[in-house]
Amino acid sequence: MATTHPPHAEHEQGPAAMRYWVVWVLLLVGTFLTFGLSRVHLPSPFHLLVALAIASGKSMLVVLFFMHLWDHPGANRLVFATSIFFIALLVGLVVMDNATRYDLLNPARGATLQMEPPGPDLLTPRGPPEPSRRLDTPGVEEGTGPSR
Amino acid sequence: MRPEPEAATAAYVAHHFPDLRTQEHAARLGMWLFLATELLLFGGLFTAYSVYRYLYPATFAEASQHLSVAAGTINTIVLITSSLTVALAHHYAHHGKGRRAALLLLVTLGFAVVFLLIKAWEWSHDFHEGLLPGRYFHSTELTANGAPMFFTLYFLLTGLHGLHVVIGMTVLAVLMVLCWLGTYDHGYSTPVELGGMYWHLVDLVWIFLYPLLYLI
Repeated sequence: MATTHPPHAEHEQGPAAMRYWVVWVLLLVGTFLTFGLSRVHLPSPFHLLVALAIASGKSMLVVLFFMHLWDHPGANRLVFATSIFFIALLVGLVVMDNATRYDLLNPARGATLQMEPPGPDLLTPRGPPEPSRRLDTPGVEEGTGPSR
Repeated sequence: MRPEPEAATAAYVAHHFPDLRTQEHAARLGMWLFLATELLLFGGLFTAYSVYRYLYPATFAEASQHLSVAAGTINTIVLITSSLTVALAHHYAHHGKGRRAALLLLVTLGFAVVFLLIKAWEWSHDFHEGLLPGRYFHSTELTANGAPMFFTLYFLLTGLHGLHVVIGMTVLAVLMVLCWLGTYDHGYSTPVELGGMYWHLVDLVWIFLYPLLYLI
């Protein structure tokens, strides 16, 4: 192990306190910017994308300067970048899974309730029985109901 | 007076590390690994949020209107400022000014209490309105399909975040006492740095929660 590390000599001293104040001002600017832009009501995809871009910028400021990744060697950056990469993978793939499903499989879709089945309904060719003719209707005893 | 670093910090080096620098690097790397698991913990909830926001885009926008944007914005500013005071506390602890670092950590704890008080006010307002998770949801004003799921995610995300605030406060309170007693005045301030990193993570998560929950 070498006794001196010239590239990290500056870190021994640590950055000046002024740097933290500058980052703080930038974070406040980012907060007001994201608040202001949310009131403008940008069109649908940009609304979310702009908010996420500003949040990413703010978090990079926090990670690089408050958490000192700017001054630190590569291993710590690699750990952080890897965790971000896997979160992006998780969120991205799960949302893409939902986005590419057949629409009827998404229970939340409003259109789902109005949609016709894609083809002949093999299980109930004549449609579901009338409520009064159903065997499990309260008051209709087993065996006395209409024969199917 | 601050003693000569070489002689003073030798006492902090564990026997399995060749020098303090290596020990500090190992400590930071371990902290980053821990923070990575924390990010993945929140990542699961953010994934659930993404899916249900994709499925109910209009409902999420409508449900978000029932949250107090003012409270969310004030809490964002409070947390950002508390991150600044933690960063400054580590700065001063690193330069042997433990008393000043302890005072800055005290200010940080004050901000954290303000954050929790605002959060408690928000939650009690939500409880009163019937804006509750899942099947406990009984709001009369908000009846859109999927609204209970928004509030399920809202309470899970802010609840897990609030739990982290409380844990971070505990860590910072211990560090505050140790800083005040002068434990880190002799060239070894890694515990303050690592505790601060935990607090910055809490800030980091909130930076994303703020636009995703309040500003849809």
